[in-house]
Amino acid sequence: MERRDFLKGSAAVIPTSIGLQMLMSRGTAFAQMADFKDDVEVLNYALTLEYLESEFYRQGNGAKLLSGTEAGYLKQVGADEDAHVAAISQTIKDIGGEPVAAPKVDFGEAFANRESFLKTAHTFENLGVGAYLGAAGFIKKPEILQAAAGIFGVEARHAALVGDLLGLEPEGGVYKGATETPETKANVLKAAAPFLK
Amino acid sequence: MEKERQLFDGEPVIEFQNAKDRRQFLKYAGMVGVGGTLALTGVACADDKAKKPVGKKSDDPSEKPSVPQGDIDILNYALTLEFLEADFYKQGVDSGILKGRELDLIKPIADHEAAHVATLSSTISDLGGEPVAKPNFKYPDSTFKDKGDFLKTASTFEELGVKAYHGQVTLIKTPTILGAAASIAGVESRHAAVLAKLLGGNPFPAPVEGTLSMDEVLKAATPFIQS
Repeated sequence: MERRDFLKGSAAVIPTSIGLQMLMSRGTAFAQMADFKDDVEVLNYALTLEYLESEFYRQGNGAKLLSGTEAGYLKQVGADEDAHVAAISQTIKDIGGEPVAAPKVDFGEAFANRESFLKTAHTFENLGVGAYLGAAGFIKKPEILQAAAGIFGVEARHAALVGDLLGLEPEGGVYKGATETPETKANVLKAAAPFLK
Repeated sequence: MEKERQLFDGEPVIEFQNAKDRRQFLKYAGMVGVGGTLALTGVACADDKAKKPVGKKSDDPSEKPSVPQGDIDILNYALTLEFLEADFYKQGVDSGILKGRELDLIKPIADHEAAHVATLSSTISDLGGEPVAKPNFKYPDSTFKDKGDFLKTASTFEELGVKAYHGQVTLIKTPTILGAAASIAGVESRHAAVLAKLLGGNPFPAPVEGTLSMDEVLKAATPFIQS
C-alpha cells in the first residue's frame, strides 16, 4: 500500500497490522543506527543546525526583503533559533560537554529576493524537523528528550508557516503528511553541506 | 493557550459510548494525580502498571510486541483527543463555512486527524490493548455556523493537543511508541501554527513547545464529558 493511500484511508480499509508497522518503523528506523555515541553528540549535531538557522535568519532578516506581518513572523522565527542555540549550548555545558563552535556559512543567492529567502527557510525548517525526529531515538536523558521534542515541534511550526507564506500546496508544502518523517544524520549533513564552508 | 480558557463555555462535548470508556478516560486524571496526595498514589500506581506488560499471546512474540500498560493508556488518551479533533474537523469541513485558502488548509488537517485515529486504534489493537470506542461529541450551536468560533475552537484544540503530546514525552516507556507519538505531535504543531495565522494570532507562542499533564488536559476536557 502506498503511504499516501494509507494516510488518506480510513480505519475500515487498513489491515490491522499496517498501522503498527507504520508507527513502529518510524522508531526502529532511527534507533538501530549508530550515528551518535551519547547525548552530547546529539546535542552538538542539533547545535550545528541551530547555528546555521540562526545565522541564516540574522542575514535574511537583515536584508530587509520582507515587510509587515510577514517580516514579523520571520523575525520571531529568527529569535526562536537564537533561543535554541543558547538553550542547547547551555545544556551541553550542564552535562559536562563542550559545545561546538558556530560553523562558517555561505548562503549563496538565498537573499536575492523574498522568494529565495523564504524557499531556503522552508528547506532549513523541514530539514530541522527531520533531523530532530531522526536523532530523538539516540537521546538517553529524559529531560533532554523533552527539550529536543519541544524544539522539534517549534521547527514544525516554522516549516508550516513559511510554507503557507510561500502559498504552497497545503499537503506536501505546508504539511508533510499525517506524520513527520525522520531524516538520517547522513542525509541531513548532505543537505546542509552546500551552506557550510 | 491560557490554561484557564474554557472550551465551549462549559457545554458538554464528549459523550462516551459506554461507561467503561468514560471511566478509563477519567481514570487518567487520577493516575497523574490531582493535588499532592493523589499524585503520590498515582505514581505508585503507574509504576506498578509499568511492571506488568500486556499483550496478546502469540506463537511469534515478534509479531505482538508487549509494552507496558502505561503506554497503552497513553495511546488511548491520545486516541480520545484525536477522536475529538477528527470529529470536529469533519463537521467543520462539511459545514460549508470555510472557503478558499482556509478550506484548503483545513481539509488536510481533517484528513490527518482521521489518519491519527486509524493509526492509533490499530496500534493499540496490535499491542494487545483495547482501543476506546469513539465518544459522542456535542458542540455549541454556533461552532459550525460561525467561522470565527470554529477557528478559535480549532486553535484551542491544536494547542491543547500539542501540549498533551509533549506532556507524555518522558512518560512513554517504549522508544518506538515515543517515535510514533513524536511524528504525530510534529504535525499537530504545524496545524497549530496554521490556525494561529488564520486567526491573526501568534503562530510561535514559545521557542520550545509547552507541556500539559494528562490531569491538566483532562481538566480542560472533563467539564464537557457527559455522565
